Amino acid sequence: MDVSHVRSILETLCSKGGVSGLESDAAEEAANMLKKYMPVRRDNLGSVTGKKGEGAGVLLDAHIDRIGLIVTAVKKGGFLKVAKVGGADARVLTGAKVTVHGKKDVFGVISCVPPHLAKKDSENKATAFEDMTVDTGLTFEQASEIISPGDRITVNGSFLELLGGKIASPCVDDRAGVAAVLRCLELLEGKETCPIEVVFSSQEETGGSGALAGAFASEADTAIGVDVTFASAPGVSKDIYGSLGDGALVGFAPSLDYEMSKELMRIAAENGIKAKPEVMGGRTGTDCDEIQTSRGGIKTALISIPIRNMHTSVEVCALEDIEETARLMAQYILERSGGNA
Amino acid sequence: MLEMIKELCSLRGISGRESEVRDYVISKIDGYCDYSVDPLGNIIAFKKGKNRAENKVMIDAHMDEVGFIVTGVDSDGLLKFSNVGGVDTAVFLGRSVTVGENALPGVVGIKPIHLVDKSGENDLPQKDELYIDIGALSREEALKAVQPGDEVCFEADFEQFGDGFICSKAIDDRAGCAILIDLIRSELEYDCVFSFSVQEEIGTRGAAASAFTAAPDYAIAVETTTAADIYPAEDEERVCVCSEGAVISFMDRATVYNPELYRLALDTAKENGIKAQTKTRVAGGNNAGAIHKSRGGVKTVAVSVPTRYLHSPSCVCKYEDVESCRALIEALAAVMAQC
Repeated sequence: MDVSHVRSILETLCSKGGVSGLESDAAEEAANMLKKYMPVRRDNLGSVTGKKGEGAGVLLDAHIDRIGLIVTAVKKGGFLKVAKVGGADARVLTGAKVTVHGKKDVFGVISCVPPHLAKKDSENKATAFEDMTVDTGLTFEQASEIISPGDRITVNGSFLELLGGKIASPCVDDRAGVAAVLRCLELLEGKETCPIEVVFSSQEETGGSGALAGAFASEADTAIGVDVTFASAPGVSKDIYGSLGDGALVGFAPSLDYEMSKELMRIAAENGIKAKPEVMGGRTGTDCDEIQTSRGGIKTALISIPIRNMHTSVEVCALEDIEETARLMAQYILERSGGNA
Repeated sequence: MLEMIKELCSLRGISGRESEVRDYVISKIDGYCDYSVDPLGNIIAFKKGKNRAENKVMIDAHMDEVGFIVTGVDSDGLLKFSNVGGVDTAVFLGRSVTVGENALPGVVGIKPIHLVDKSGENDLPQKDELYIDIGALSREEALKAVQPGDEVCFEADFEQFGDGFICSKAIDDRAGCAILIDLIRSELEYDCVFSFSVQEEIGTRGAAASAFTAAPDYAIAVETTTAADIYPAEDEERVCVCSEGAVISFMDRATVYNPELYRLALDTAKENGIKAQTKTRVAGGNNAGAIHKSRGGVKTVAVSVPTRYLHSPSCVCKYEDVESCRALIEALAAVMAQC
């Protein structure tokens, strides 16, 4: 399987910042990539939206924001106090190298608290967010000049290729989903399709406001959300979760449209696209929850890409799973448009 | 020295696997001194000074760094490992590492926070739950690339930042190695012996042998030591402070330092206008612990670079403190040679 297109899109997107509410450079890059296929705009909440064709069609959604930290105060010695944005994981942050997006980008390290300064009963515990500081190596005056409360912080990490072409990188959640949507549009290039709308939503990690507004503004009657999900690993049971290399994981949940889920599984089977069901007992914890209840309701499906180490700077994915997700969406759209691949 | 520290920090050399560092050191000191490599892998170098020394002075820094070693591969292709030296679990979860001679990339995996009970969200996993993921999906696939016994290092990623700071893995003790190399490449007042030792991090094993062989009268252990000058620590809680110069210890967990030498080191700094400070906490230990007990006893001082976040992939120190250490060590070695 040729995954070179998906790899290149993902690598570009993963090199960008874009912590929730300030999706800036990531959204800009995604908008640039999207405008090859359709007219694009940034909406009032910062989402990137685009539409091709007239009238009601299919909405493809993936979120462009990433988790991170936000500066709450600049302190003596150039240390920063911070709060988390989205579900950041304190356990993986001690000693992490970060970039503070101030007036300019500043390198920093999340301080490790030596045992004699640690709180009582903190043995074998990560430093809690309220005790966390970022060491900028700057004096207070220098730091105050460049950094202000509200500035976002991203955890550094490289785009690493592991064995078998697997990728480890920060913010595969959900740049993998954005890459799948862009790749889907590439696969559909030159083909007659129903109207397609795209929302690369802002603020998913902080509650889904971007998708809510994006779906409201769309004319779509059906939607497919693409997000990441847990891949099996120690502590993540194979009996419940999919694995790296399983392909597109098609969501089945009370809040998702059952017919669409079944349709996606059928299309995958008929077209040799790798897919497996992923079952959730209520809502999905993704943009789909917001999209479904938008306006008078939108029939919504979810396709998930399995990743390991979610919400760390080493989120591991298999590029094949992104490619299969793109193929499945493309085929779905073609069938709905009355054509074939 | 800065470029040399950068190069040294990027080398891979856990305890017992110091060959990359040793080769680098030799490439830098060859032609500037007489040296030999002992059975444990220590480099012992003799540098002729302008004058003969009354006392034999040895200056030591260790080449090894903390890291991990692969102990096995599980049925899903994930690597089990053991720490080499003291590394807190908190500093490497969710980080990238390099495995084996070919520096194969891998990551330290962790159960996603979403699947952890709220009450345990800050609990670190137990040692036996930890694993390294190299992307293999079966034991067979993993064993084609990795073997038990392979070394694991933090990813090398040197940064200069802030107000004259550097950040990297292995500043402990490549900063010391750089100081020694720089001294060997310069003209010294008196003859001096240098020891680039192995296996400090697993219990100061190399220096015990090199000190025996060199049989010095005086020794200087060149190290990095914990600076806890982070917000909101105040006063003596900070232990020692970046930008306040070379750290001279009066006592740590391995050595009660000779009080006259301790005083001599502080006075030498003062007389030469070199920034120096002491440690306000009895903690840690270094090769001085092995050296001072060698043979019939060796009068030993430790001169250290104040360094934040030791034994993590992100050690932080100020380059000007490395320069202060170098200046003090040169001056002190000359005084020791004639006292």
